[in-house]
Amino acid sequence: MRRYVVTILVITALIVISGLTLGFQNIRLGGFERGSDNPLGLQLGLDLQGGSHLVYQTSLEDALGERIQPTEDQMDSLRRIIDRRVNETGLGEPVIQLLGEDRLLVQLPGVSDPARAKTIIGETARLEFKHRQIDVSVPVELDSSSITNAYIGEFPETVMDEEGEVVEISENPLADLPTSSTEMEQIVATSTDDTLVTDSLNEAIETEAETDSSESSNFQEISFLVIELDDEAAETFDLVIRRMIESTLAYASGLKSQYTVNRLQVSISGGNEVRTVELPLQLVARVPDTNMFAMALITGIGQPIAPSIDKTNQLFGPDIEFELVEIIGAIDEDVGLTGDDLSRAYAGTHQTTGAPIVNIEFNAQGAKRFGELTRDLLNTDDRLAIFLDEEELIAPGVNQVITGGSAYIEGRDFTPDRVRDISQLLEAGRLPIPIELIQERDVDAILGADSLKKSVLAGAIGLLLVIIFMILYYRIPGLIAGITLILYASFLITVFKLIPVTLTLSGVSAAILSVGMAVDANILIFERMKDELRSGRTLLTSINVGFNRAWPAIRDGNVSTLITCVILFWFADTLGASIVQGFAATLAIGVLISMFSAITISRTFLRLVATLAIARRTDWFVPVGKKFLPKNDG
Amino acid sequence: MNIAAKRGWCFLISAILLIPGIVFLIIAPGLNPGIDFTGGSTMTVKFADPTEQQAIRTSLESLNVSDATVQNFGENTFFIRTKELSESEKDDLLSKLENDVSPNGYDVLSFDIVSPLVAQETIVAAFWALFAASIGIFFYVWWAFRNIPKPFRYGTAAIIALLHDAGVIIGIFAILGVVADVEVNTMFLIALLTVIGYSVNDTIVVFDRVRENIISAPNRSLEANVNLSIGETIGRSINTSLTLLLTLMALMLFGGPTLKSFLLVLIIGVLVGTYSSIAVATQIVVAWEKQDFPKIFSKITRRRLPASE
Repeated sequence: MRRYVVTILVITALIVISGLTLGFQNIRLGGFERGSDNPLGLQLGLDLQGGSHLVYQTSLEDALGERIQPTEDQMDSLRRIIDRRVNETGLGEPVIQLLGEDRLLVQLPGVSDPARAKTIIGETARLEFKHRQIDVSVPVELDSSSITNAYIGEFPETVMDEEGEVVEISENPLADLPTSSTEMEQIVATSTDDTLVTDSLNEAIETEAETDSSESSNFQEISFLVIELDDEAAETFDLVIRRMIESTLAYASGLKSQYTVNRLQVSISGGNEVRTVELPLQLVARVPDTNMFAMALITGIGQPIAPSIDKTNQLFGPDIEFELVEIIGAIDEDVGLTGDDLSRAYAGTHQTTGAPIVNIEFNAQGAKRFGELTRDLLNTDDRLAIFLDEEELIAPGVNQVITGGSAYIEGRDFTPDRVRDISQLLEAGRLPIPIELIQERDVDAILGADSLKKSVLAGAIGLLLVIIFMILYYRIPGLIAGITLILYASFLITVFKLIPVTLTLSGVSAAILSVGMAVDANILIFERMKDELRSGRTLLTSINVGFNRAWPAIRDGNVSTLITCVILFWFADTLGASIVQGFAATLAIGVLISMFSAITISRTFLRLVATLAIARRTDWFVPVGKKFLPKNDG
Repeated sequence: MNIAAKRGWCFLISAILLIPGIVFLIIAPGLNPGIDFTGGSTMTVKFADPTEQQAIRTSLESLNVSDATVQNFGENTFFIRTKELSESEKDDLLSKLENDVSPNGYDVLSFDIVSPLVAQETIVAAFWALFAASIGIFFYVWWAFRNIPKPFRYGTAAIIALLHDAGVIIGIFAILGVVADVEVNTMFLIALLTVIGYSVNDTIVVFDRVRENIISAPNRSLEANVNLSIGETIGRSINTSLTLLLTLMALMLFGGPTLKSFLLVLIIGVLVGTYSSIAVATQIVVAWEKQDFPKIFSKITRRRLPASE
């Protein structure tokens, strides 16, 4: 009897564990985390929650067009690169794994039209080498007819409008000029987006309006170039300012290294004098609600073009002219050199200095283009800008023409870690081997949810029908079988959640089939029990003998099913057919649990019932229609 | 119940079950392979506007996708099978369909591409899976029946019953492929392998009784032991297949359309698997013992001999 107590305790413990596992949507015990937002916290396959299943095959060929098997390293780096690319798209939680020796599986749950992901995955090269031209001068195209008004001197308080009316200008957008370059840098540094730049300028203007103008900046005496433009030209000039804002922000947020900020070059000429200043963003502004633009004629470090307005007028005389040139800090020109042309990138140290360097090697075509690029770059301030996924990685200068195709990059701030990172990123910019899509399965999320709902409903109805049948036919043992089946189903789901097994449509079918196998085990036992009861044994003996006699059939039947499962699983693994794999795994787990539930749970419950008063009614323990029972209790 | 004596009838029924299927399998087009086995694209599209198969076909023909097949899934949902489509070809096809048959839009419920490379591998792998499963089960049964005389025969009989069941199902789908355009796909393969698992499971239950009866009464004739065993297990066989059929019917009635042919295979498989355990597997063991096959063979040859004289 002690043995039963232990068994009952074990079963109770399992029921409690199962209840707790299924009761909580998400489980977290130390490092052990399970659960999801799906019903019962189960993991659902793509066919039940919707999503895309993509299988890629590597297509590596030798010079003769013969297929070459990729190496393990190549496959691993392929997986890492695609993992990185897919993750960047932000498409849900992708699963990326290798299948066999030359295939890659990409699963995108919840994505039913993976066009974007497919484009990104399939791109062979996302690494680009560009010619960065530094300080490109572009004259601001303002013809004289578009300039309706121009003036150098104090900031005007009034202006004439088109009808010749005098209009007061209340605000000088440049009234609160920063007095030093540090102050200017502060404004830029605290600006995280363009609203803030404008805000800080506006704030400065407002503060200026409140305080007495005589107390304002040291630059009160400074000359301003004020121009009024027609609508079209104002728009053009606005774009110039916008580009300055963008480049200033990019610099301030540290997005770009060695970045040269856009500036506006203003040349003032008159008499025999020509003076040129380069104005940063902070010294150029549009007067709010007008087509007027003001430029403070000081250099970035706070030096006026002339110490005062009087001096300015003296210097340039009455016939002052001006010229505006936009200086674009950096233009990245596409030269057709990409990751496709790179054959290798690896970290190393400089032969003589021992400093950490990044070695790069190009293929024949790449070497040619790289040679041309280095020739163009040599002896200029221009840079070789390397972009990965349109983000700047590094932009070194060039100090010699390199025609051999192999070069190295050195940098003052290079550490062994940094050069390793850079070389890995360079390698990641190209796929180590070409790939092609060989299989795609997309399932709409609505269809998936519908399939899930229907399968669950069908499973529940099926289980209920079986339990009703068992009770009607086998009576009390049938009732116990019914209880066992419900426990079986919940144990199965618990195991699915804990492992975790990803539930697919074929997995649901396998689970339902394994319910059938569990019922079969019970039926085998009850039929044997019935035979024993008929031959006149007591209920308890019949239960024990029935179980022992049924065991070989249950064992052999289930083992042969397990053999089929193992073979299926093995084939599915080499095939990459995850639906087959899910089916085999689910069926195997189901068969194992059904063996346990039929043998241990059913038997223990039956024995318990056999000790109760109800056990006197042996006719309740045999199937209907079996009349000839000898009375063993009388 | 003396089934063993009527084993000739059993083999005849099996032949009747198998032959039409084999005939359909051999004469063209036989099984109707889905894209899993041929390569190509399929999509399930639900159109916003009511439309018909013919309209979709006409629309596709004007796009030079003439070898497309279109099936109606009901609720204005259609299954369209074409050659392997690229992303842009897929977009072209869908916008063409939207233009022609459903200006109010559509929903692509599912989209599949299988390259011919994968398809060919699937066929080869399916064959090997069936072969490997048979070998594994054969050796296990041989081993499990090592305590009774000639265990080798039980393993062989179990495999013949298994191939019999697979043959009946493949035959039925060959017929359905011709008369109802039913396709076989990976799910069909899974279903087939499941049936094989069930068939062996069921055969083993009957064999287990035979094993037990032979051990307890070794002097009784094999025929008598087989009959006794069948009589003792028939109740269980009927009840088990009944409960399985109940579950499968529930799935068939309430489950989605995607599983229909999968479930059809399982339902046929349960019926045939139960039948074959009683009427094929055990009867082969009896026939082997009784030397039926050499007798039949010699009868045929003896009849022929006078003709050749």
